[in-house]
Amino acid sequence: MSFGWLVRHNVWSKKVRSGLTALAVAIGVMTVVALGIVTDSLKTTAAGVLQVGAADFTVAQKGVNDILSSALTEQQLAKVRGIDGVRSATGVLLDTERLDKAHPLVVEVGIKPVDLKPFGVQIADGRAFRADAENEVMLGIHLAQDLGIKVGGTIHVTDKTMRVVGVFNTGNTFGDSTVMFPLAPFQAYQRQPGGLSLLFVKVDPGTKVSQVRSAVERSSPLLVTISSLIDFGRADRSYQLITAADRAATFLAIAVGAIFVMNAMVLSLVERYREFGILRAVGWSRRRLIALVFGEAMVIAFIGAALGVGLGFVAISILENLPSLEGVLKPTFESWVFGRALLTAILVTAIGALYPALRAAHLSPQEAMRRE
Amino acid sequence: MSSQTRSETRREVSTGTGAIVAENLVKSFDKGIVKALDGLTLRVSAGEYVSITGPSGCGKSTLMHMLAALDRPDSGRLMVDGADLMRLHDPDGFRRSRVGLVFQMHNLLAHLDAKANVSIAMLGTSRTRRQISERADELLEMVGLAAFSHRRPPEMSGGERQRVAIARALANEPSILLADEPTGSLDSHSVDRVLNVLDDLRRERPVTIVMVTHDDGVAMTADRMIHLVDGRVSEPTA
Repeated sequence: MSFGWLVRHNVWSKKVRSGLTALAVAIGVMTVVALGIVTDSLKTTAAGVLQVGAADFTVAQKGVNDILSSALTEQQLAKVRGIDGVRSATGVLLDTERLDKAHPLVVEVGIKPVDLKPFGVQIADGRAFRADAENEVMLGIHLAQDLGIKVGGTIHVTDKTMRVVGVFNTGNTFGDSTVMFPLAPFQAYQRQPGGLSLLFVKVDPGTKVSQVRSAVERSSPLLVTISSLIDFGRADRSYQLITAADRAATFLAIAVGAIFVMNAMVLSLVERYREFGILRAVGWSRRRLIALVFGEAMVIAFIGAALGVGLGFVAISILENLPSLEGVLKPTFESWVFGRALLTAILVTAIGALYPALRAAHLSPQEAMRRE
Repeated sequence: MSSQTRSETRREVSTGTGAIVAENLVKSFDKGIVKALDGLTLRVSAGEYVSITGPSGCGKSTLMHMLAALDRPDSGRLMVDGADLMRLHDPDGFRRSRVGLVFQMHNLLAHLDAKANVSIAMLGTSRTRRQISERADELLEMVGLAAFSHRRPPEMSGGERQRVAIARALANEPSILLADEPTGSLDSHSVDRVLNVLDDLRRERPVTIVMVTHDDGVAMTADRMIHLVDGRVSEPTA
């Protein structure tokens, strides 16, 4: 017999109690894992547009709820282009449109043909649209393949049937799933003449990006610069809300899970008064008794974590197929999911086991042995 | 053993290995209203087998708890196996290695088999897993339960359970065995088996035994009987 054997044996010999406690942990883990994957997917989708422009940083309107609704002007673009250290600045107008069930959120980009190259767009097939063409569009290579549309074909967007004159490649999955329009007709359709959403800025070689970003932000209090997901979090209120909701839900899941675990373990403690008294009477130290209770809790945590990850995957696959989230939610199952699951399970059980373990350790052996 | 010889033996009691010296022990409960021990003085030599008798509430179990470092007297002097229990810093370690405890209600863990119940007392000692296993087998053989090592307490008789409890109490080779009514809930046949185990144990190695009992027949098997009344030693009898 070893201490580890006793820990496992105690968990196994109380299957129903251990199983229910592990289930409570698993529900907490499932919630945290599923929410984490969902919010991560939504964040990636929301921030994806920033990675299209092959820029050193992006400029957006300060304080917008959704970065896609950032409203800038061509005058602001001209001002940014005039700042020292700015090598190029490309202004784009963005919108989203539902094409079909499989493509519920396609990003539309209005851009001048002259800016396509600095924006990182390479024509894979066909040609670029003309600057004033009202019925010409280009499709990203992924979207074209998805829709089965080739150069010369048509697509119904912005309430019109448009001719696909080119298929492009940006080297970015998000960018290759967009539709690009000539800027002026797109501004006219959006009823935003001279309007832009974002500016994609490249700096002169040898110039510090941070210096240029500071200069841009100093040039207007209405502008914010973004070069990382963290910056994006500061600029986009929706992102902040998603992050805050994720944190709040994680906290709640851990708190509720811990209360469930504590409840189960306190009930088990009452059942096991006599057992703990006997162990203390034969010379077990308080520390060893705490280790026993925590050891059992950790075994349950591992079972709960494994079960919770499984349930989390099931929950994600259900969410993925919900009509309102179909195509929007693109979950990626990365290693952090397992780390987060394990951490949640350990937190939930450690918090839940703390009080019962301390109670068990401070029982008077002779009192405990009198209990039936 | 004559009364004079016993007196001499008591005078010779040391405070070393296996000996018990209790002087003027006082223990009160309920804020001093109930006096369980009231100036109790007691000496037990190393290797001696002593039975403690007395009416209910005379302080027998309280005394056993003091001797096992499960509780501490309010005042007095208490030396057990060379340790001053009034100043003991590690009562758990003391119980683990210096004394073995046997209770009336055997107090085995129902979800563990006999071997695991014996082994459990050795967890936390320097013994390896293999040594724990071998020692548990050896002890179960000693108490005549080698064939029962994989039985759980509910699958054993009262006498068998009590013998497992004795094996557990001896797991760490204590110098002193403290038994609180070990035969109290047993039939006569089981009582004989338990007493035989204690006899065999004493023949095998020197161990001090202090046994609380209500059964005069059992008490008479001891080298010496001590009678408690109102928290004090009343009168030693042969």
